[in-house]
Amino acid sequence: MPTLPHYPFSLHTLDNGLRVVVSEEHLAPVVAVNIWYDVGSRHETPGRTGFAHLFEHLMFQGSRNVGRTDHFGMISEAGGTLNGTTWCDRTNYYETVPSNHLETALWLEADRMGGLLDALDQDNLDNQRDVVKNEKRQTRDNQPYGRWLELFHELGYPAGHPYQHSTIGSMEDLDAASLEDARNFYSTWYAPDNAVLSIVGDVETDAALAAVRKYFEGIPAKGSFPDPPPSTVPSHIGEEIRQVVPDRVPVPRVFVGYRIPPFGTTEFDAVEVLATILGGGRGSRLYKSLVLDHPLLQPPDGNVLSPWPFVGGAALLIADLPAREGVDPAELEAAYHELAQVGEVPEAEMERARALITSEWLHHLATVDGRADMFSQFTTLFDEPALVNDMLPRLLAVTAKDVQDIATQVIRPDNRVVLVFEPESQAAAA
Amino acid sequence: MSAELIESRPAPSAPRPWSFPSFERRDIAGGRVIACHLPGKPLAVVSLVLTSGATSEPAGKEGVALLLARALSEGTSSRDAYGFAVAGEGLGASWRADADWDSFRCGFEVPAHQLLAATELLAEAIREPALDDPTLDRVRDERLDELALDLSQPGPRASMAFAGAVFTADSRYSRLDGGDVQTVAGLTPDDIRAFHHDRIGPAVATLVLVGDLDGTDVDAVGRVMFDGWHNDVSPAAPVNVATNGGPRRVVLVDRPGSVQSMVYAGHDAPNRKTPDFVPMTTMSLALGGMFNSRLNLKLREEKGYTYGAFGGFDCRRDGGIFVARAAVQTAVTGAAVTELMNELEALHEGGLTAEELDRARSYRAGIFPINFAGPGAVASGLGDVVVHGHPDDHFDRLRAEIQATTLDQVNETTVTRLRPDEAVIVVVGDAAAVRDDFTGLPLEVVSDED
Repeated sequence: MPTLPHYPFSLHTLDNGLRVVVSEEHLAPVVAVNIWYDVGSRHETPGRTGFAHLFEHLMFQGSRNVGRTDHFGMISEAGGTLNGTTWCDRTNYYETVPSNHLETALWLEADRMGGLLDALDQDNLDNQRDVVKNEKRQTRDNQPYGRWLELFHELGYPAGHPYQHSTIGSMEDLDAASLEDARNFYSTWYAPDNAVLSIVGDVETDAALAAVRKYFEGIPAKGSFPDPPPSTVPSHIGEEIRQVVPDRVPVPRVFVGYRIPPFGTTEFDAVEVLATILGGGRGSRLYKSLVLDHPLLQPPDGNVLSPWPFVGGAALLIADLPAREGVDPAELEAAYHELAQVGEVPEAEMERARALITSEWLHHLATVDGRADMFSQFTTLFDEPALVNDMLPRLLAVTAKDVQDIATQVIRPDNRVVLVFEPESQAAAA
Repeated sequence: MSAELIESRPAPSAPRPWSFPSFERRDIAGGRVIACHLPGKPLAVVSLVLTSGATSEPAGKEGVALLLARALSEGTSSRDAYGFAVAGEGLGASWRADADWDSFRCGFEVPAHQLLAATELLAEAIREPALDDPTLDRVRDERLDELALDLSQPGPRASMAFAGAVFTADSRYSRLDGGDVQTVAGLTPDDIRAFHHDRIGPAVATLVLVGDLDGTDVDAVGRVMFDGWHNDVSPAAPVNVATNGGPRRVVLVDRPGSVQSMVYAGHDAPNRKTPDFVPMTTMSLALGGMFNSRLNLKLREEKGYTYGAFGGFDCRRDGGIFVARAAVQTAVTGAAVTELMNELEALHEGGLTAEELDRARSYRAGIFPINFAGPGAVASGLGDVVVHGHPDDHFDRLRAEIQATTLDQVNETTVTRLRPDEAVIVVVGDAAAVRDDFTGLPLEVVSDED
């Protein structure tokens, strides 16, 4: 094992409740600024799916002192990169800039945290609604297998559950979003005491904190936030849910999803190791059997199984199984189910998994922007920035027995959603 | 309660100087090694870079370089595919092998203290791959499945149609670098073994090591890679870059039921060595390489036709392409193509403003320290230095050249390097819904299956 790095950091809370993590690294004259707001698609109200994400787009449309396209413009001209993303449990915004432009990034983030409504108007909303609808078309509706993600939300959770819809939402709800919805959403969720700001890179902690105070201290705390909709859900689905989707696709593709304990639990840690044993890397069980020994599966780009790290109620573990040309999806699925019965896990397999997980983790933390996002994540979700250093040791402490136990608990016919995409012509002939 | 915000944008402090990480070249055991020490990085990269990419493939064997890249990890003289996988993964190493137009690169990202062990595996894979018939047949069939998936997606489908429309059929550039269904289906195990024999050898190879090299014996790593490796390989001949030419025209690839049209518009472009490379590519940043580029501001931020519009040059060793592209809602396909072409014409005729140049220049020069933040990115940059024969101070020179670019230099390239009147406009979309949008232009409709 390599010596695991320990990244120093400090956590500070401003009077208005903004939590700030600063972590110095002076290898390059670069700094990452990353804000997580504790609001995502699970906080959306019925009839307004996709709103958290649409709102994320509006955050780039200017604010009190920032012109409409200036946020992107100023960071680009500084030689920086930036973006924002929305997920079920949060919305994040980030800039990586040459370290002498730290204050530009802080000023821009503060201005939209405190002054967005001064710039928000119907034109911005209508334009970004069109952009988001085109994002949905480009990334989902016009892609082969493009519906799989939203189908797992629909099938993996009961009606009305906050994870039952995906972050992109529906065209109808996007059409229905009004300027008033946007103003209310902002007033409800966007406040310093619902956010975490991480600064990682070539900064002096005291100077960075002084700059944060200068730009953010004048933004008032909101004080309280609505509880997210209840996310309690049985730990098992209770039956096998199966759906066949005829689609314009070249070959069949089978997805199998399981309900699992939420992100942050030691059970979820064990699921991560289980996913690596079964389908992480070319030395995994699924790769050996289904790609090399009896070729039924197209070689995966990444891992065959991915846990979706939801924090409320239950998360999902999803296996992605594109069939080789001419393979019967039923044969592929049956072979997969058999291999997914884990049984004994020899220590050699555990060692392989630990080595892979270590490298993957080091890879995520290697850049200042990757590390800033992790500090924001662990502070927002668990109030525990130290997990940036402590999570990997936790994963390495998972035992073979833990893996077997979680597999027995999760990999069950009455706890799975099976989604089968079939080429339209083939489905019609069948 | 209203927020109190600071009104004016802060001024930047003085920048800390940055230069591309220094590296050294060594000749070890008859091979070339580049070693770049980046302290404080737990992961390192070992990459063998060969100047044997898609352009060195024999005619009719397009796609064979990529198949060889895929096949290297599928077994060696002493390990089968599974044995090779677990040997690497046990080190915490992740394998990467790929072929592009001008290079063939393979190697590992690996914890720094395992560089020597990872290089032993790399040497085994590149020098003694098993390349047996059943494995090579499987690798080819997997690639065919992958191509079928690629071509069911609008972007790759447009990219393929664009290459075929711009270049003549006997140019290597008329097909994608990974080949197409016709050529890959015809490749045999003998073809893959022949490419390995004819194109992979120390004379065209450089070993690139990047990471925290304290504790790594670079000479020992170089010996493991090169000692006793003999295979005479000569550099490949230049590519025929002949184009079909002609006035502006539309190639419409019918993809029934599409809710968007994927638009690729452009033409051929100069090769990487063109003297105006820096002004030309700085110009294209302002056109379509930044969020606030002309194309994105018009098609996304003003019109809402698309999630994003882009444009730029892809300059290879022997030639290149210029493409402006966007995925647009089906109903506005004609209007979007008109706007896109208007932007190309306006830039071609009127050039950039001083402000636009300033923004593009400061972005492009400023981004270097972020783009080269880790061993992977630095190794990739050093690979480019190897492939294009750049001098050791290439990236620092490039940055200085970007900063010194003038408006006159840039606006000369808008006239010579953008040729909207000769553009091929590829549209992948629902032909029944959009074909009438192009009544004023020569139009060729092709089936999705072609």
